[in-house]
Amino acid sequence: MSLIKQLWIAIILVLSIAFGGSMVVSVLSARHYLEQQLQVKNIDNANALALSLTQLKKDEVMVGLLVAAQFDVGHYRFIRIVSPTGQTLVERVAANLKPAAPDWFVKLIPIRTTPGQALIQDGWSQYGTLTLASHDSYAYQSLWDGTLELLLWFVFGAAITGMVGTLLMRSITRPLGEVVGQAQAIAERRFLTITEPRTPELKSVAHAMNVMVDRLKAMFNDEAARLETLRKKVNHDAVTGLSSRDYFLSHLREAVQGDQFDSLGTLVLVRLPDLDDLNAHLGRQQTDALLKDVAHELAQSGANRIGQRAGRIKGAEFAIVCPSLASATEAAHDIHERLTQNLLPKWRDRVPDLFHISAVRYHHDQNLSELLARADETLAQAASLGPNSWHAVEDSTAKAALPAEQWRALLTEAVAGGRLALSFYPVMSGDGTNPMHQEGMLRLKLDAAGSLLSAGDFMPMAAQLNLTAPIDLGVVKLAIEHLRSTAGDIAVNLSAATVANFGFRHELIQLLKTYPEVCQRLLIEVPEYGVFKQFEAFRDLAHQLKQLGCRVGVEYFGQSFAESGKLADLGLDYIKVHPSYIRDIANNEGNQEFLKGLCKVAHAIGITVVAQGVENQADLPLLAALGFDGVTGPGVK
Amino acid sequence: MLVAATFAAPDLDKTQALAQQRYGARAAETVAAWRQLMEESRALTDQDKLTKVNTFFNRRMLFVDDIIVWRQKDYWATPLEFIGRGAGDCEDFTIAKYMTLQMLGIGNEHLRLIYIRAKSGSRASFAHMVLGYYPQPTDEPLILDNLISSVRPASQRPDLVPVFSFNNDGLWVGGAATSAADPTVRLSRWRNVLERMRQDGL
Repeated sequence: MSLIKQLWIAIILVLSIAFGGSMVVSVLSARHYLEQQLQVKNIDNANALALSLTQLKKDEVMVGLLVAAQFDVGHYRFIRIVSPTGQTLVERVAANLKPAAPDWFVKLIPIRTTPGQALIQDGWSQYGTLTLASHDSYAYQSLWDGTLELLLWFVFGAAITGMVGTLLMRSITRPLGEVVGQAQAIAERRFLTITEPRTPELKSVAHAMNVMVDRLKAMFNDEAARLETLRKKVNHDAVTGLSSRDYFLSHLREAVQGDQFDSLGTLVLVRLPDLDDLNAHLGRQQTDALLKDVAHELAQSGANRIGQRAGRIKGAEFAIVCPSLASATEAAHDIHERLTQNLLPKWRDRVPDLFHISAVRYHHDQNLSELLARADETLAQAASLGPNSWHAVEDSTAKAALPAEQWRALLTEAVAGGRLALSFYPVMSGDGTNPMHQEGMLRLKLDAAGSLLSAGDFMPMAAQLNLTAPIDLGVVKLAIEHLRSTAGDIAVNLSAATVANFGFRHELIQLLKTYPEVCQRLLIEVPEYGVFKQFEAFRDLAHQLKQLGCRVGVEYFGQSFAESGKLADLGLDYIKVHPSYIRDIANNEGNQEFLKGLCKVAHAIGITVVAQGVENQADLPLLAALGFDGVTGPGVK
Repeated sequence: MLVAATFAAPDLDKTQALAQQRYGARAAETVAAWRQLMEESRALTDQDKLTKVNTFFNRRMLFVDDIIVWRQKDYWATPLEFIGRGAGDCEDFTIAKYMTLQMLGIGNEHLRLIYIRAKSGSRASFAHMVLGYYPQPTDEPLILDNLISSVRPASQRPDLVPVFSFNNDGLWVGGAATSAADPTVRLSRWRNVLERMRQDGL
């Protein structure tokens, strides 16, 4: 039984005992008083009547009259005179007057009085014994009325006390509720602190929990910072802070081949003069300063574009992948402008031929080495154009882009006409033996023949056209249908763009509420950049989904690691680690150490960790050893 | 009858001890003599009991007005108080005789305390009290009076006019009415003296 219920029962019990007890006492004392009064009246009246009868001549009519007179004007149940031989001489009995009190009351609290008795003399001889009893119906009535009045006060008092009690209870239990809420939140892995209540007992509980949460958060943040340092060291170039060659290439591959970005993007190369020449010409220190300046500009250029990343791929060669820029010319021009304006004035005196820029467009699933080779070729063409020049090639082999209006029609029709489909890929336990759940990837059936477009081919366009919300709803509907017909758990992805859409969140929750039975088996994940771009919206969504019983996860985790401290109080169920960390893990000891630490921290707050994009089945034992709970990717069957 | 139950087991040892304690050795002796009288009379006829009891009190006790003995105009003494002082007025004699006869097994239906208007040669009429004994309810009573030594039938007492009679019938019918806690007891002179007697061990 809840504490509040128990408190209420205690209050009601105490009230009943207090009021009930005082009621019983006052009813009983009233009864005692009435009994005494009736008794005294009986005795006194019997004696007074006997005294006056003794003085009379014992004429039968006279005695009868006197008794009648007394009886008629008084309040008697009966008056009787019995001769010494036991013969009734005079008797007057009142009709049985029913008391106004109910029978059960009369039976429960009877008023016991004895008739008064006195002797009548006739000279020396005895005339008779006089017995009389007063009416007690009025006594019952006044006792009953008094009891009713008391009861009324009792009810009134109880109502007042109840109201005051409710208010008191509310103010007493409010802090209790907060403490309980915190405990529940912690159980759901949302690590919240609350303001400590003023009640000392609760205060110490809340204080202890706050301290624990703070310590946990501090530990989490420390660990996250340590891991971040490690991650940077492993994956970033020491001089420029840009991605190292391996890390950049892994990211590039993800951008070109993964589902995460637009099907069209641009790769930009920036080449400075040969590093040895620079060193000889400028000296080591100045060369490093130059590299840093370049790196700074390149990093700046991608600050506002999703997925854009710069890396140092050779001594004095940089590459930038711009998944959100489909025009190579625009990309090359942007970077050229930056370098010309911000860098050239400073270095032109010493290095007149500072850089060449090339940009090539790529399309989804393009071969990487071919892409890099083409970028190199273009760079050579740029070099031929003179110092500090650029050259861009819009790839003629790319699929002809459909005009936006046509896309809109296609996508709208797809949602309405049920042309969306899910392809399922298994997510297995860390050692690759047991299925954890199936991840449903969105596909669009382009035509009746059944050729499928992957999400990367049309979702960027859908985002531009503001159509992700209906598509995501369609995805969840498909998942629900699937869950209702088959066993097992299913994970689906929501687009980054939809999370911020309040209308979508509302519709999604309403939809799930109509199928409460499948929520336990539904996992909903959002890409990391979608989480941090609109964090409050995601927090709200995660909270509501968790209340329905769904599990919530973050996919492509690890790119914005510095912000991941925020995730501690969300109550996340799992994270799927970005494929760029997983690829070629066997040969990357730095990443191994990083991932091991990541798994440890995640496990400390109860989050399951899944490796995404596992290509090689041989990696599975290593991943399991690092602490991964699950694996998924082309290498996982 | 409850009255019988009330007086069935008088604690006379307590009465005697109280007499010793409150009034001294002489009073205790009188109580002892009183107890002996009761022991001796138990087997006698009612008539002989009346004579013995009447003689015992009339001989041993002085007839003195309340105002002298108790410094009150009218005080009803219990038998213990009466014996302790060795003196009392007509009510005290009557009550003591009434109680003694009851303890000797004479039922309430035979006994009446009777208010009397009395005349004696020299004095004008005065208020008096005697104990009446009715052998049968319809009979003429025998009168136990402290003014004369012998027990005589009412017809031989032309000096006495009965006014009103009573005994303790009907007073103890309810359980609560016997309790000293009942404040109404103290308000009636008669019920009051009966209650005090109980406390004296009678």
